[in-house]
Amino acid sequence: MSSHAPIQSPKAAVDSLAAILGGALPGSLASADDPAAALLHDDGVARAVASRLRRAGSGGGDDGLCGWLYDAFQSSVPALKLAVLRFVPTLAGVYMSRAVSRKPLAGFEAVILALYMHAVAQRGSSAEEPETVALPNLANPSVYHAAAAAASKTAKAAEPEVAVLSPALEPHGTVRATRRARIVGAVLELYHGKLALMPFSSKMDFCEFCVAWSGKHNSSNDKPRVASAPAPAAEGVEEKWRRVPLPWELFQPALRIVGHCLLGPNNSDELKTQATRAAQCLYLRATETMDARAVLACRSLIRLSQMVEEPIPEPSFSEAVQANMAELEAMRANILSAKN
Amino acid sequence: MAAAAEWENGSDAGPNGDSAMFASPVKARARAPESEAGTSAVTASESSEARVDDGNIQEAESSLREGLSLNYEEARALLGRLEYQRGNVEAALRVFDGIDLQAAIQRFQPSLSEKTSSKRNNKLRSDSSNSGSQHAASLVLEAIYLKSMSLHKLGKPMEAAQQCKSVLDAVESIFQRGIPDVMVEQKLQETVSKSVELLPELWKQAGAYQESLASYRRALLSQWNLDDECCRRIQKRFAVFLLYGGVEASPPSLASQTEGSFVPKNNLEEAILLLMILLKKWYLGKTHWDPSVMEHLTFALSLCGETSVLAKHLEEVLPGIYPRTERWYSLALCYSAASDNEAALNLLKKSLNRNETPNDINALLLAAKICSSDYFLASEGVEYARRAVTNAESSDGHFKSVALHFVGSCLANKSKISSSDHQRSLLQAEALKSLSEALSLDRHNPDLIFDMGVEYAEQRNMHAALKCAKQFIDSTGGSVAKGWRLLSLVLSAQQRYSEAEVVTDAALDETTKWEQGHLLRIRAKLKVAQSLPMEAVEAYRTLLALVQAQRKTYGSVKNGKEEADKVSEFEVWQGLANLYASLSYWRDADVCLQKAKALKTYSATTLHAEGDMHEVRAQTHDALAAYLNALSTEVDHVPSKVSIGALLSKQGPKYLPVARSFLSDALRLEPTNRTAWFFLGQVHKHDGRLADAADCFQAASMLEESDPVESLRHL
Repeated sequence: MSSHAPIQSPKAAVDSLAAILGGALPGSLASADDPAAALLHDDGVARAVASRLRRAGSGGGDDGLCGWLYDAFQSSVPALKLAVLRFVPTLAGVYMSRAVSRKPLAGFEAVILALYMHAVAQRGSSAEEPETVALPNLANPSVYHAAAAAASKTAKAAEPEVAVLSPALEPHGTVRATRRARIVGAVLELYHGKLALMPFSSKMDFCEFCVAWSGKHNSSNDKPRVASAPAPAAEGVEEKWRRVPLPWELFQPALRIVGHCLLGPNNSDELKTQATRAAQCLYLRATETMDARAVLACRSLIRLSQMVEEPIPEPSFSEAVQANMAELEAMRANILSAKN
Repeated sequence: MAAAAEWENGSDAGPNGDSAMFASPVKARARAPESEAGTSAVTASESSEARVDDGNIQEAESSLREGLSLNYEEARALLGRLEYQRGNVEAALRVFDGIDLQAAIQRFQPSLSEKTSSKRNNKLRSDSSNSGSQHAASLVLEAIYLKSMSLHKLGKPMEAAQQCKSVLDAVESIFQRGIPDVMVEQKLQETVSKSVELLPELWKQAGAYQESLASYRRALLSQWNLDDECCRRIQKRFAVFLLYGGVEASPPSLASQTEGSFVPKNNLEEAILLLMILLKKWYLGKTHWDPSVMEHLTFALSLCGETSVLAKHLEEVLPGIYPRTERWYSLALCYSAASDNEAALNLLKKSLNRNETPNDINALLLAAKICSSDYFLASEGVEYARRAVTNAESSDGHFKSVALHFVGSCLANKSKISSSDHQRSLLQAEALKSLSEALSLDRHNPDLIFDMGVEYAEQRNMHAALKCAKQFIDSTGGSVAKGWRLLSLVLSAQQRYSEAEVVTDAALDETTKWEQGHLLRIRAKLKVAQSLPMEAVEAYRTLLALVQAQRKTYGSVKNGKEEADKVSEFEVWQGLANLYASLSYWRDADVCLQKAKALKTYSATTLHAEGDMHEVRAQTHDALAAYLNALSTEVDHVPSKVSIGALLSKQGPKYLPVARSFLSDALRLEPTNRTAWFFLGQVHKHDGRLADAADCFQAASMLEESDPVESLRHL
C-alpha cells in the first residue's frame, strides 16, 4: 500500500477511482461540482464500490480498491476521509466474515489498520486510558437540576462513579486474530462518531451485516418474513456471510450503531425496519450465552422500536377562540364576499 | 406603544386578560361594515376559500383594521390564525408573510422594559398597560409561531426553524430578565413553551444537528418558565438525540455552569444525567410515567456495563408499573451482569416459584446460566435448564439449543463433584448427549463445540476432543485464545508435544504481548514434559518477565476481573520451584519457594512442594507435617492427599488402610489422577489383593498416556 502516494484532492481521488473501477462508475461523477460530496452521497458510486468490495477474492494485498481507500483516507481532505468511512460497514462486514475462514486479506487489513490508527491518534495522549463515562449522582446539583438543600451541606460530595465505555487502544502494526474484534470495534466507534454525516445506504449495509454476523437470521421465527424469501434469488452468486465471533468489544459498538439506525433523527422507515431486524438478531445471539448486559441492551432497543414517538404538540386554540370562530368566520366571509 | 394604546382604546378591555382579547373582535363586529352576515355568506366564504389571494388578504386585513381598530400586524395575525385553524396552511402562510416581527417587537419592547424597571413604583398601572401590550405581543408572536408550524407542515423545516427561532429571540429581547412566573399572560406563555419545544425538532428535521443541540440546551438552560410536562418532553427528546444522534457534541459551555455542579463531559454522560433527572421527577410525582425513559437508561447503562446503578433505578420504580416477575427478571439481569450471581439467583427463584411464572423461559435460562458457573449449583442448574428445554419445545430451535447447552454444562459440572464412579460416568454420558443434541439444533455455535471438546478431553476421549478443538479454531478464525489453549493441551495429552508447541507458537503469534501469559505457561510445561529443563527454565523466565512487567504497569489499577485473566507471579515461582526440585537443585528450588511464599503465605501448593522436598531428602516426618498443613489450608487439596497416601503406603503394613483411604479420597475428587491410581495399586499389592492392584495399575498406565500438561480447568 505504501507505494501509493496519498491522494491530495477530491478530483484526483475520483480519477484514480475511475481508473480502478472503469465502467462501473457512473459518468456523472466526473462532472460533479463537488467530487468529494459525490463520492460520499452518490448511490451509483456506493453500489459500484460496495459490490467490488463484496466480490469473491477481494481484499487481497493487491486489491487496487483497498489501495484507493487507504490512499484516500491518508489524504488531508476531511471530505475524502468521510467518503472512506462511508464504506466501513461493507469493509468490516466482509472482512470479519472472511477472516473467520482465515483467508489472506492484507488489503482489507491495511485499510482497517489505517482507520484504527486514526482512531488511536484521535484519542491522542489518552489512547492508553479507557474512554470513560462519569455517572451523575443526583444528590449533587448539575447543570440541569438543583440538588435538594439537604444534600449541599454534606461536604463530601460523592465522587461520581466512573464506567468504561471503550477500553484503551493500543497501537497495532498487524491484525492479530485475538485482537481483531477490538480493532474492528474501534473502527466502528470511529464510524459511530460520524454517523450523522453518513448516507442512508451505508447504514443499511451495516444493519445487513449485523444480521449476518449474528448467525441468527435463519431462526425459524424469522421465516415468515418476506425479506428473507427473495434474498437467495436476488443475491444468487453472492457469498453467504458467515457468523462471526462477537465478543463485547465488537458487540457493543455494533449495537450503538444499530441504536442510531433505529432511533436516530430523520431515519427512513426502511432503515428502521432493517435496524429492528438487526436488533432482534443480536438479541437472539445475546441469549445464546445469556450475557446479561447484551440481553438488557438489545431488549431495550427492541422495546423502544415498538413504542410510538410522542408527537410535537399542536397549537391549541383556547375555548374563547372556539366560541368566536363562527363569528370571525362570518366576518371573514363578509369581507371576502363584499369584494366579489 | 401607540399600537398598544390604540388596542386598549378600541376594545374596552378590562385589565384581566384572555376573555377581553377574544371578546373584542366580536363586539367590534357590530361596527364592521356590511354586517348582514347569514348562511349565504358562509357558503360564499367556502367557495372563495380556494382562491384566497394576496388581494383578498389585503382587503380583509384592511377591513379588520378599520373595523376593530387593530394595527396591521394584529389584523394579519388574527386572520392567519383563522386560516391555520381551518387547515388552510398555505393561505395562513401567505397571511403571516406580511407580518414584520421586528417592527412589532420594537413597539412592544419599551413598554415592557419600562414596566420591569418601574414595577415596584406603580404596580397597578403598569399591570394594566402591560397586559395590553402583552395581548398584542402575544398575538403577533403566536402568529409567527403558527407561521413556523405552517412551514413545518409544508415540509420546509429550515425556514420553519428560522421563524421559530425569531419567536424565541423576540421573547428574549422583550423579557430581558427571563419570563416572570406570574406576570405573563397564559396565551403568551403557551406560545413561548410551544416554540421552545418546537425549535430543536425543526433544526433536527432540517438536518442542522449542531443548531438542534444548541437549541435543546437553550430550552433547558434559559428561563422560559416551562411547565413540568413540557420540560419532560424536551429533556427526553434531548436525551434521545444525544444517545442516538450520531453527532459529536461539545459539552455544555462554561457559562451555564455554577460552581460545584456536575457538568457532563460527553453525549452519553449528558444523556444519562437527563434520563436520571426524568426518572426522579417521576418519583416525585411531577410528571407522567414514560416507559421509554427507563428503556433508554437501560440501553445507556448496559453499554457502559453499569448495571448495578441501573438496578438501583429499577428498584426505585414504584409498584404497579412493571409486573413483579418482570421486574425480578430485569433486576436479575442487572445483578448477573454486575457479577452478583447470588442476588440474581435469589430473584430468579422468586420469579420461578410455582405461584409466579414457573415456566418463563428467559428466567429459566438465566438461572441455568448462573448455576452453570458454580459446581455446587450444578444440580439446581440441571433442573432449571431441563425445565427450559421443556418450555422451549413449542418455540423454535434456538432457545431449545441454548437450554440443552446449559443442561450439558451443568451436568458436566455435576459429574465433577459426584461421589460415585458409576454416577459420574452416567452424568458424563448424559452431558455429552445434551451437548450434541444442542449442536444438532445450532450447527454453527462455536461455544457448543468448545464445551464438547473440553468434555471429551475430561473423559479422556482425546481423539474426539482434538476434532472439536480444531473445529472451534476454524469457526472462530483463531480469534479466541482459549481455543488455542485447548488444542495445545489436547495435543499434549496425546503426547504430541512438538505439535503442541507449534500450536502454542502459532497462538503466541496471534496474541498481543500482555495476553500471552497462559500460553507461555503452557509452553514452559510442555518443555518440562519433554524433559528439556534448560528450555523450560528459559520459558519460565520469559513468563516471569511478562508477569512482573504487568504488575508494574497495572499495579495500581488492578481489579478483580483482570486478575482472573492473568497468570500470577506466585504460580510462576511455584512452577519454577517444582522444576528445580525435579532436577534436584534444592537450593534453587528453595529460593523459588520462598519467593512464592512471600507472595502468598498460606498456600496448599507451596506447602505441598515443601513437603515434596522434605520427602526427597528422606525427612519423612517433616514431609508428612507439611502435607498435613497443606491439607488444613485446603481441605480438598488432591496432590497432598495423594502424597500422604503414597508416603504412608511405604511405611509398612499397619499404615496401609490409612493410605488407602487417603488415596481413594483423592480419586473421588480427581478420578483421572494417575499417581493416585498407581499408589492405590501399590497398597492393594502390599495387602495381597493382586487383581485389584492390577486394575489400578492398568488405570494408571492408561491415564499416563492421556494427561494434558495442565488441568483443563484452567481454560
